[in-house]
Amino acid sequence: MTTPSRFWRVWQPTVDSPWNLRRVVHLRRRAGFAATRREIDRDLNDGPQAAVNRVLAGSARLDGVHDDFEQISKVIGDAAVASENPHRLKAWWLFRMLAGPDPLAERLALLWHNHFATSNLKVESAAAMARQNEIFRAHGRGLYGDLLRRVVHDPSLLLFLDAPANRKEHPNENLARELMELFTLGVGNFGETDVKEAARALTGWTVAPNGQFREAADRHDDGEKTILGRKGAWRGDDLVELLLAQSATAQRLAKRLCEMFLGEEFDFKSSAGRTALDELAGGLRARDLDMGWAVETILRSELFFSDANLGRRIAGPVEFVVGAARALELCDPPPSTVVLAEWAARLGQDLFYPPSVFGWPGGRSWISPRSMIGRANFAAALVAGELGGAGAALDALALLERHGRARNLDEAVLFSCELLLGGPPTESIRAQSAALRESSKRSPGDAARTIVRLVLASPEAQLM
Amino acid sequence: MPTRRDFLKTSSLLALAPSVPAFLAKTARAAAPATDGRVLVVIQLGGGNDGINTVVPCADEGYARARRELRLARETLLKISDSVGWHPAMQGAARLFDSGRLAIVQGVGYPNPSRSHEVSMAVWQTARFDAEEHKSFGWIGRALDAGPRRAAAAPGAMLIGNESPPVALRGRRSAASALSNLDDFMLNDPLPPVGLATESEPADIAAFIRRSALDARTTAERLNELAHRVRTDGQYPPTELARRLSLAARLVKAGFETPIYYVIQPGYDTHAVQLPAHANLLRELSGGLLAFLDDLAISGLAERVAVLVFSEFGRRVEENGSLGTDHGTAAPVFLAGAGVKAGLIGAAPSLVDLVDGDLKMSIDFRRVYASVLEQWLGIPSADILGEKFEPLAAFKK
Repeated sequence: MTTPSRFWRVWQPTVDSPWNLRRVVHLRRRAGFAATRREIDRDLNDGPQAAVNRVLAGSARLDGVHDDFEQISKVIGDAAVASENPHRLKAWWLFRMLAGPDPLAERLALLWHNHFATSNLKVESAAAMARQNEIFRAHGRGLYGDLLRRVVHDPSLLLFLDAPANRKEHPNENLARELMELFTLGVGNFGETDVKEAARALTGWTVAPNGQFREAADRHDDGEKTILGRKGAWRGDDLVELLLAQSATAQRLAKRLCEMFLGEEFDFKSSAGRTALDELAGGLRARDLDMGWAVETILRSELFFSDANLGRRIAGPVEFVVGAARALELCDPPPSTVVLAEWAARLGQDLFYPPSVFGWPGGRSWISPRSMIGRANFAAALVAGELGGAGAALDALALLERHGRARNLDEAVLFSCELLLGGPPTESIRAQSAALRESSKRSPGDAARTIVRLVLASPEAQLM
Repeated sequence: MPTRRDFLKTSSLLALAPSVPAFLAKTARAAAPATDGRVLVVIQLGGGNDGINTVVPCADEGYARARRELRLARETLLKISDSVGWHPAMQGAARLFDSGRLAIVQGVGYPNPSRSHEVSMAVWQTARFDAEEHKSFGWIGRALDAGPRRAAAAPGAMLIGNESPPVALRGRRSAASALSNLDDFMLNDPLPPVGLATESEPADIAAFIRRSALDARTTAERLNELAHRVRTDGQYPPTELARRLSLAARLVKAGFETPIYYVIQPGYDTHAVQLPAHANLLRELSGGLLAFLDDLAISGLAERVAVLVFSEFGRRVEENGSLGTDHGTAAPVFLAGAGVKAGLIGAAPSLVDLVDGDLKMSIDFRRVYASVLEQWLGIPSADILGEKFEPLAAFKK
């Protein structure tokens, strides 16, 4: 984009659209897993460019990040893999989201996990799932081609989509179909014949006994294929390049990134939505599908900071539980990430076990009576200290005192809403806390805890 | 016809239920229109069930020709008629069929079938072909919107399992819920209730959440209250599908007012080494279905519940080289229950007279839906399905 349109040009604060707490919390939730009060105040003070710079550079966190984080992460990760225990693997990833310096990388890893949705239900190998996860992290922000090539050569995906069973005598269409429909072009941009021919091109792709990608020449159908109108003796790698070059792939990529940062409610079908998407897709095409460029463009943009984009995205279970733990500064002691993983699963997002190759639908599908009750129960468990760790109840009063907001109930309510909602208390929260005031005598500690719980369980706290 | 104001009044009473005297709460529920008591359970076979190896056309010469490794020997099949037999793992289904409680609708599909899981499942769930409509409302959601106003306490549809409620259950007003076990409906130490949901534009996401919070609370209270009235469970095999069906049975037996239950049994996408996996799936399906209907019969509820079993497509006639099958088109749909007119409905598709190697459809799935909607649930189907489809003679009068 040489001259970005009103959608993608860099947002500048104005009187009507100021850099305020609302937008800081918005940025830190959409591009990370929420911010502590100190981090919010710093971003507020330093302005949007600095705040976004920090998010992109992985230096936005002031609190709760270990000095030797990567070393600790490696120990936890290696132990999880060695034990072949998927719960420990989930816990490892949540540890990275909670205590790592670069939540944007973890966010993008989550996006790719959803995009290349591979379930351990079929793969049955914590080692393989961990390896795939590392690819998402290390290559989730570079050129899409690099990410795609690595993912489709990786055992998890190959096994999940029956690649080893795809041979020249009898092709198996699974990998070919999902490669075209989900990972690149999207539905409607290819035909059934293309799938069949693509399957032929992919014959021979398999996983060797040592767990590495292997191209078995004896299984490969080396005849001529016609894919998307192009004739040639295509091999699997040729197919991947062909798909990357299609404009539909850039469109799909743009849509995926917009869904993550602009919310699933964003109307891609409206004239404005289509224009914005086309522009972003065009920019991606001109830059070899550089996802880092797209992410930065989105995060700095008018669209991202527009009023219409604030508080319009439903927080997914992982975002919700990690965001709550982070914002409330549960670092010392930290909650058990195994327990957090269980909560996320209970609320509908079981890491490494997406419901199908289409991933988690997201958006409003996160919300059901059960998940709403689950979120309310999670809030109760969090303040009661039932998230593992040392088992002590949340010292909400200490949190308030630390930030000089412990003088009275109203201050506590305001602080909690600013932290967890990014805005002032809603009418129903005011009503609920008024009911608190009237009810039986509580200690200040108890009252503070109840307020946090009340805000965290509120309908507004489910949005970000 | 209850007005909007009545609805709000009902909501407010139910929201305050813990502090409202019991007789007032009961009155509020009585004010909402009662259901006629009929229940529909939908079992979705996820992945595309190989209908050819489920209701086997053993007399069709095309079968032996197309299925060399995957062929099921005629003598092992459970007889349905002179031309078709059940996969040997379908013993429970055979019992239901023989005792007049199961109908097999043969060759069900739709024109210009899609072989994409997502698209075809969306077509079945929304009864629409336009991709733009595949994420809005489903056939059951629309049915619930069209039906009588429901008591705020009981959701119109419930998914039993871990999955998100599928688009089939999404409606404009009706909120579907999902249940894995009853634990998930225990509110630990409730707070004072949230502010009332007002009738606002569903596009407003904040209002949607507020409404969902209210739905959640009233649902929890209702379930909690009813769970104590549950009688002992019947004999169910130790499988996940059976567990889910037993939970649905418990809710029905306890008088829960939800008319629609949706259960997903995944795993049917048998591209490789189909025989053992498919046998396990069918055994699980068949055993669970029989146990469920027998359980309801013991409780005198057999006449009230019907089951619809479907998959997003069948599989290709010719097996592939991985001892499996790839995505196909038409497949059988099952309707089960005491109220169902048992037998074979429609003609079995020929395995010789094909379209691009796939079965030709005999019956449009929307005719099955029309039967269920009109004859079982008493809801006119034309608007829900987008056009008028002639129902099949699938239910007893």
